[in-house]
Amino acid sequence: MGPGKQTALAALRERIAALENRPPLAETPARRLKAAKGFVAAPPGLLHEIFTPDERNAGAAFGFALGQSRPLITPQRPAVFYIELAHEAQERGLPYGPGLDHFGFASETLTLVRTQTMPELLWAIEEALGCRAVAAVIADIGGAPKILDFTVSRRLSLRAASGGASIFLNRYGTGREASAAQLRWRVEPAVSQGQSYDAQSPDAPRWQVFLEKGLLSTEHKQEGSHWLLDWKNGFKLVERTQGHGPAGEPPAPTPLPGAQPAALGDGLLKTA
Amino acid sequence: MLNLPRWATDCLKRRDPALLASGRPFALYEKQKSALKLVAVDASVSRINVWPGHNLTDARALIPNLEAREIDRPLVESLFADFADWHSYASPIVAVLPDMSAFGDLALDITGVSHLFGGEEKMLKSVLGRLRELGLEASGAIASSIGAAWALAQHRPGAIIGEDADVVLAELPVSALRLAPEQIATLQQLGLKRIGQLYAYPRKALQARLGASLILRLDQARGLIDESIKPRLPAPERFVERRFAEPISLLDSVMETTRDLAIRLSGLLEAEGMGAQAFHLMVYRVDHKVMCLSVRAARTTRDPAHLARLFANRAERLTGEFDAGFGIDMIRLGAAEVSALDPLQAGAFDGQGGSGDLIRLHDRMANRLGETAVLRTTAVGSHMPERAARLEPVIQPPAPPAAGTVADRKRPLRLLPNPEPIRVTAEVPEGPPADMTWRRVTYRFVKAAGPERLGEEWWLDHAPLTIDPPPGKDEEKPRTKKSRYGWDEEDEPPLPRRSMLFRDYYTVEDDGGRRFWLFHDGLPGTEGAGWYLHGFFS
Repeated sequence: MGPGKQTALAALRERIAALENRPPLAETPARRLKAAKGFVAAPPGLLHEIFTPDERNAGAAFGFALGQSRPLITPQRPAVFYIELAHEAQERGLPYGPGLDHFGFASETLTLVRTQTMPELLWAIEEALGCRAVAAVIADIGGAPKILDFTVSRRLSLRAASGGASIFLNRYGTGREASAAQLRWRVEPAVSQGQSYDAQSPDAPRWQVFLEKGLLSTEHKQEGSHWLLDWKNGFKLVERTQGHGPAGEPPAPTPLPGAQPAALGDGLLKTA
Repeated sequence: MLNLPRWATDCLKRRDPALLASGRPFALYEKQKSALKLVAVDASVSRINVWPGHNLTDARALIPNLEAREIDRPLVESLFADFADWHSYASPIVAVLPDMSAFGDLALDITGVSHLFGGEEKMLKSVLGRLRELGLEASGAIASSIGAAWALAQHRPGAIIGEDADVVLAELPVSALRLAPEQIATLQQLGLKRIGQLYAYPRKALQARLGASLILRLDQARGLIDESIKPRLPAPERFVERRFAEPISLLDSVMETTRDLAIRLSGLLEAEGMGAQAFHLMVYRVDHKVMCLSVRAARTTRDPAHLARLFANRAERLTGEFDAGFGIDMIRLGAAEVSALDPLQAGAFDGQGGSGDLIRLHDRMANRLGETAVLRTTAVGSHMPERAARLEPVIQPPAPPAAGTVADRKRPLRLLPNPEPIRVTAEVPEGPPADMTWRRVTYRFVKAAGPERLGEEWWLDHAPLTIDPPPGKDEEKPRTKKSRYGWDEEDEPPLPRRSMLFRDYYTVEDDGGRRFWLFHDGLPGTEGAGWYLHGFFS
């Protein structure tokens, strides 16, 4: 075999590899999930699901989504969209400008979209993803709408991959439907440390974060897939020894009914 | 000017084929001062010398097989309005002339359009011909003033006069001046039967006897005073259109045509170095209805792809309501609010994405979801949480930043549009809360900070802040009321339950780590004082 043939073969192999990689579902994040001062910094163009067991945790989940989307903002992509159903505003509250600024998220970057129906909400997400100036889309979805099935989430994940903006679907409840999300988080609020001069006063936001689905790089695998995080104008890992969580050590993620337990590491399932 | 004297009976006949087929004389009556009087009659009735104003019983005696119905004025008027819209195929400015009757008189401003029909005479003929084909009795005339055209359409159908209106009008009876019946009767008594006789008559005497309206009508007819008509459809400043030899009916074909028209319109605007902010798509149905879709852009634009997408998005929402009837024979795309647009602006820096893309996204969303659905937050200098942030439609130009905004106070990420009442116990009176019951769940607090006392700005002339009772949790129907802290402070419901002087805000954290923002309203122990939940921290 001459060198010409070899290069041709190599080119063919590359093409086949590219074709096989075409659905960017679950392959690449493993290499790319890099540490940001101890915590995972997800690259753009992914579909995240952020679950929290209860609607009353909406503030915590929203804060986590904001924290994840803030590093994605660049001068080329200055906008973040928040999309929700108009009639759900009283349930969980509306994003509040001064609160965003206090959190460290410039309120003028956030555009609020309030739709009447679920199909319109999905349309708005897709439209926003198609825009080159959008860094992230945060969608607040209460309950388990029928229309948001695997096909739709796959569509969204492909859109995110091709457009380069990330989606954060804020979901509530313990049910987990099949979805094509590359990363699925479970976020619960945690009792904060207490300010140094006043232990009785609530301190910076603190979350317990579990990665239920998604690939981790080797350094994170050793740590497991749960973290206790503080928000101090950036995610900050809380030392385990402090033991400020409700049960000292956070419990292992429990397998959830109706879905495969998330496979961590390399043997990732394509769905669920 | 077009006059359709038998519009009421003609349009009902068109709606009801059985009536038309029966061939019976047809009249409409109305109850006037406890008598049933005819208000509209068709041609076969007027041939027997029965006119509007006759008693219904007399008419029945004269015409035994008379078909009489009570007039439904709103229906007839709305049909006439639709019919008027359809006439914008001939001229962009079409109006119903309501001086004499809410239906029957149609004014078209044909300045600069008659050449499209091959001259004024041909235009009048073709417009009237189309009406006759539809079985409508119509007469028309063209003149340089509305008053003269009306007079001619009534008394000299088909006349076209330019500058010599005075001469022609002089021969017409005074009833051609759009006068009230009493005025005409008085003029008859004075022996003034022709308009020409009025020219020389002392104006002061006329005004004293017959009122200023006579002078006004006379001057309007002679073209001495300008009279304008109120167009029914938005009058586009630039437009392109396409007529179909064979009517089309599918929404897809309409959108296809819209794309083509957008490209043509964009070429038209580009040639002039212009762009526009408002665009109207008018779809003309064969059966005389016009559908009008309007979209707005945040910035002046002429990008055809963007326009076509805006209309496509808008139309998607219509799919259920779209009804082509018997087909569509013309589509027109018009641009309004035209202003100069730098030719370099389009496309020059588009490669890198960025702001242009974002503005187009805002346009698409706002046009499909409604202007108030896509919002941005702006800071307002106010201590009260509801007023410190204002939600504005992104499609509006941004307001200048407000002065005196308070930077970096501890504020929640989410704020409830309506604060919800909660039950709170405190360990010591006026101390920080120890637990609360909200939405039937009890939360025990492990941390609390506060109070932060926020008072109302008494020096501002606002309506007093009130707390609306939040809508019931069991309420099923979506709440349409807009948020209280928002862009609609002016149209807040007038529900002054109780004015407020100050609130004491606390930041609390429960044993699960949830952080809330609570406030106590009013002085403890006073009537109406209570605890409310207002927001959620992360």
